[in-house]
Amino acid sequence: MTIRTDPENNETRALLDMANFGGQHVLEIGCGDGRVTWLYADKAAHVTAIDPSAKLITLARQELPSHLQDHVEFHNATFEDFATASKPSAFDIVILSWSLC
Amino acid sequence: MVHALEEIHRLLKQAGKLIDIHPVAEPSPIEIHLGEKIERVGDLSVRQWCSDYQHADEALTEIKQRGLFMIEREGIFNSLTYYDSAAEMRTDWKAAIDKFARDAQSIAESAPQAEAMAARVEELMQAAGSGAELIVGERVHISRLKPI
Repeated sequence: MTIRTDPENNETRALLDMANFGGQHVLEIGCGDGRVTWLYADKAAHVTAIDPSAKLITLARQELPSHLQDHVEFHNATFEDFATASKPSAFDIVILSWSLC
Repeated sequence: MVHALEEIHRLLKQAGKLIDIHPVAEPSPIEIHLGEKIERVGDLSVRQWCSDYQHADEALTEIKQRGLFMIEREGIFNSLTYYDSAAEMRTDWKAAIDKFARDAQSIAESAPQAEAMAARVEELMQAAGSGAELIVGERVHISRLKPI
């Protein structure tokens, strides 16, 4: 049994059409298990991906490909806590990954 | 939600971009595909999800009106999820309802509705026979915003 989400890659096309990720520092809010992170991470300079679910962050870390380990970091945090601890003007791109809800 | 967008504004560089991806606030159509034959089963409509997506739309409208961000570009794409069986779909829905529910009342409202739809889908999948594929569609709104 395999669940396939968006095998047509419509989301990848739409996302990459929205921004040039090359050399950018990206914050992804609500990354879950990294499903959206994998769509653009290899193009970015650095990705900080956060999610309040410890279970999903563990899954994302497990699935992190070796070639992305240097520039993708996953944090188990709420956005409120993360923002409080973050400096202003730190990111080129912020992605609300199905999380503005 | 609006407070979160204010914080995002603070974390973004002046020339930065905010990309928001969230589903359109509408029910998700469910179809069974077998060869060329397509049967529309119904819609998955979880009231809390639709309400959450509406709130997301409203938050974006509010931050535009307050002059915090401006929309540079937006669009809609289709996101389809394929299941081999109704059981697989039922498990996935249950996990999604548990994950995104705000409270026990929301689960109590959503779970029976999803369960009833899953039972109907199961019947129709059995009737369709082997090789049938279950597809749930979702239209998703994507937008790029620039801080002002």
